[in-house]
Amino acid sequence: MEFRPILSAMRRNKVGAILIAVQMAITLAILCNALFLIEQRAGWSKRPTGTDEPNVVVIENQWVGNPPDLSARLQGDLAALRSLPGVQDAASSNTYPLSGGGSTTGLSLKPDQKNATAPASIYFGDEHTIAAFGLKLIAGRNFNSDEIVDKVGYTDIKPPAGIIITRALAETLFPGGSAVGRSIYVDQGQQGQIPIVGVIERMQVPWTGAGGWGSKFSESSLLMPFHFLSSYPTYYIVHAQPGQAAEVIQAAKKKLFDISRARVVEKTLTLTTARAEAYKDDKGLIVILAVVCASLLAVTSFGIVGLTSYWVAQRRRQIGIRRALGATRNAIIQYFQTENLLIAGAGALIGIGLAVSLNLWMVNIFAMQRLNTGYALAGAIVVLVLGQAAVLWPALRAASIPPALATRAA
Amino acid sequence: MFNYYFGLAVRSLRRNIVLTVLMIAAVGVGIGASMTTLTVFRAMDNDPIPQKSRQLFAVQIDNWGPDTKSVAAGDKERFQEQLSYIDAVALMNAKAAHRQIAMYKTGAALTPANPQLLPFQVQIRATYTDFFPMFQTPFLAGGAWSADDDKNHADVAVITQKLNDKVFGGGNSIGKTINLDNHEFRIVGILATWEPTPQFYDLNNDTFAEGAAIYLPFTRAIDGQMPSWGNNNCNGDIGQPGWEGRLRSECVWIQFWAELPTPAAVENYRTFLNNYATEQQHLGRFHWPAHTRIRDVREWLAYQHVVSDEYRILVLVSFSFLLVCLLNAMGLMLAKIMGRAGDIGVRRALGASRRAIFGQCLIEAGVVGLAGGLLGLGLTALGLLGLRSLLSEEVSRLTHFSTADIMIAIVLAVVATTLAGLYPTWRAAQVQPAWQLKAQ
Amino acid sequence: MLKMTHLSKAYRTEVVETYALRDFSIHVREGEFVAVTGPSGSGKTTFLTIAGLLEEFSGGEYQLDGANVRGLNDNQRSRLRNEKIGFIFQAFNLITDLNVQDNIDVPLRYRGFNGAERRRRIQEALGRVGLSARSRHYPAELSGGQQQRVAIARALAGSPRLLLADEPTGNLDTQMARGVLDLLEELHRDGATIVMVTHDPELAVRAQREVHIVDGQVVDLAAQPRLVATANANT
Repeated sequence: MEFRPILSAMRRNKVGAILIAVQMAITLAILCNALFLIEQRAGWSKRPTGTDEPNVVVIENQWVGNPPDLSARLQGDLAALRSLPGVQDAASSNTYPLSGGGSTTGLSLKPDQKNATAPASIYFGDEHTIAAFGLKLIAGRNFNSDEIVDKVGYTDIKPPAGIIITRALAETLFPGGSAVGRSIYVDQGQQGQIPIVGVIERMQVPWTGAGGWGSKFSESSLLMPFHFLSSYPTYYIVHAQPGQAAEVIQAAKKKLFDISRARVVEKTLTLTTARAEAYKDDKGLIVILAVVCASLLAVTSFGIVGLTSYWVAQRRRQIGIRRALGATRNAIIQYFQTENLLIAGAGALIGIGLAVSLNLWMVNIFAMQRLNTGYALAGAIVVLVLGQAAVLWPALRAASIPPALATRAA
Repeated sequence: MFNYYFGLAVRSLRRNIVLTVLMIAAVGVGIGASMTTLTVFRAMDNDPIPQKSRQLFAVQIDNWGPDTKSVAAGDKERFQEQLSYIDAVALMNAKAAHRQIAMYKTGAALTPANPQLLPFQVQIRATYTDFFPMFQTPFLAGGAWSADDDKNHADVAVITQKLNDKVFGGGNSIGKTINLDNHEFRIVGILATWEPTPQFYDLNNDTFAEGAAIYLPFTRAIDGQMPSWGNNNCNGDIGQPGWEGRLRSECVWIQFWAELPTPAAVENYRTFLNNYATEQQHLGRFHWPAHTRIRDVREWLAYQHVVSDEYRILVLVSFSFLLVCLLNAMGLMLAKIMGRAGDIGVRRALGASRRAIFGQCLIEAGVVGLAGGLLGLGLTALGLLGLRSLLSEEVSRLTHFSTADIMIAIVLAVVATTLAGLYPTWRAAQVQPAWQLKAQ
Repeated sequence: MLKMTHLSKAYRTEVVETYALRDFSIHVREGEFVAVTGPSGSGKTTFLTIAGLLEEFSGGEYQLDGANVRGLNDNQRSRLRNEKIGFIFQAFNLITDLNVQDNIDVPLRYRGFNGAERRRRIQEALGRVGLSARSRHYPAELSGGQQQRVAIARALAGSPRLLLADEPTGNLDTQMARGVLDLLEELHRDGATIVMVTHDPELAVRAQREVHIVDGQVVDLAAQPRLVATANANT
């Protein structure tokens, strides 16, 4: 296929060709940045929490007033929950992964260190917590029951007998070394030396916002051996036998209200539900971007169909003459496809540049990551294929113009 | 002449129905996408209290000092957004502003009088009487508690209409009591629906949420040791154990607002704050020069980054999409107009000036824009419906279409399409009247 | 009515400058019916486009109805064209998506007449060309002769001072052509000034006077009027 006649024909339809090329360029720029964002968010919202999500039930419990016997009530509730059929284990905590709210502390290697070595989210719990969440202890030991003490609200400040930390946190604190048996300091050393007694494979922080609080240390969590007693809502973490979460929720609610009605059970849910809620806006963003991308491709291809059809109509006589002079149908189709390839090629080149600069700009303005060049290339291929597909119908129509047209008057 | 051009435009659009449908669809889809995101964006970027947003100021005092890790390196503007109890009480006592309030978010279990009903959780805002006149909250019945109630740590409460309906089945409940964690509070006021969006006065947790159901005197909540349910930030130094320890600590957890009606008042308050911080330095509490800020509502919303990056990106993407749609419509308009060059040549020969042709084609573009805008409105409604099902409840609250949004959609559609039509129209006006004679 | 003196029109390309009209002078008086003839490429059409204010000229003077049109801007030229000139094209140039009365309406709209005036003029013009019954037909539903009569009605409706016709029968068969020509003659008898460009000598003789253009200049026909007329009579 010779390019020269195509180029000279395009020169006469300059603006139309430019419009299509620019459309394709912008389409490409948006497409690959959006796909990149979609991929990132999808990946973000799929990160494991380290818990047995479908079978972990969370029951938010809030006592009415500040009963003096909170400790006994908590122990009673937990014993009752553990005795329910279908329950593997139960514990209480101040928060849970995917909840969106929790507490952070800074861990230091030295007592008087001004700036902490690593931030970490705190989960309060007892010797049942690992089993209740379905966590995996990979080094050291679980808490002993005699290590568990009551903590009455966040203002009740006391040193923990020991802590269990996640592997990610252990690696941040002691790169390459073993954490079990080592000690750290919290709150600028106010609690003294705290021994690390165990390491769990994984436990995500409660916050889930991409780029939000906690996103920089999302795998750094620790367990403290406290029974958290508070006028705040606290959470019972109940590990159900596989597939029995729904029954356990019903039974647990009934049991708790049988024990005492002076409480509020604001919500009960499995961590699977908590995940759906936590990432709802991320999922929404993904769907919106996907819809916009699909519409973008549709609009661009309809635009190509419309404009090419017009060009075909405009050149009917010319095409008839070409046919009369011996051009085959394929030659006519190829003509329009080559023309589109040239336009789309130009659009793709501009588009790749635009995509990269758009991304760089967004990296600067927003908390966005650097675009993988693979996306730009993939986007370019999508745009080129789209152009070829869109031009096919008008090209076929052009090919069906009879050579006899040349002999008729305009 | 407008009517004539309008008629011509409709006729011309009907002539080539496929091109017309493509153009209108392109504009409509673009408007639909951009207006859907713009509606949410506008709700996020909303001025929640336009009549006073330049008179209400959030107060910041740096009680941690410059070498705090949480202060962005070198950025004097980035420091803790809440106050410690020490500073909040000091500023309340100083009364340096026309009005001022300290407040924090807390909560409790409310036990209904009817023993058949289970207790439920309520969100509470602990604040001062001036909260209500400062933020111009609408009262359905009663009013704010008195300054004496603040002073006396009184067991009084203002509740929302929604809570009144839930607990008392509506009606005038002034004088009745509610039971919060086994303490009785006397109702002095019932607020009509008041949900400023965004909830500018406390952006720590629920930027677009419903807000508190109950308002209590700050002094009473402190007495009751009702802990903050919002953000508590202690910068490593959590202070001494116990409630009293927390009150004496440098932990920040209290929002502080001042009403400063005049520029002079604003300046005076700035000076006052700096003097206060300098005094704290002299007393040995702060080891750094005074570092304070006050920001009015709009500055505060911008500073707190109320519109998240996601939505900025979404608006950017959807407006780029609109641009593509307009380029598309522009190409189609160009094709359409050039296909009609013959008619235009005849009109020119029959006495139509360039300006007349220009006007005629521009009105045609405007008609496409109008039709596209109407289609876009429909698609926006669908889009918002879609968002409501896709997004969390908090953001779903922002998916409501106002009259202003409708106006914006139509004007945007017509103006943008007309702009896109400028080039094709200019080309049309360049058609020579002689063309038809020559073409033979 | 129409007076061109020493008028010239040059077309410039990158390489050459060619004169379509050179030192061209013509005077058409009020009420005259003039045929402009000449071989292909002689400048007939250029003359017509300039006479119809469709194009500007390079040099010389052109007075239309006593007014000098040199240097007028697009608005003024459009206005003059609209008020003073009626065009009759070879290809009729009806606007295909407007029906008969809307086609005739076009110049009246640009003229700024009110609705009643426009309706009156449309009816009158249609009556003139004998197509009152077809006012709501579309061009495609009419024969070539009828289309050309609509075009004439459109040219007449604004009561122009001058009718410019470009091969008005060129796209018509003999019988239809005769009808159109009869109509032009009738208009002439009623006092219209008509300038008709044609390469058809048979048409030219129906005019009152013939102006012959060769190579962009008027050839003095006074020297050889008989000859042409005789030659025409013999064909």
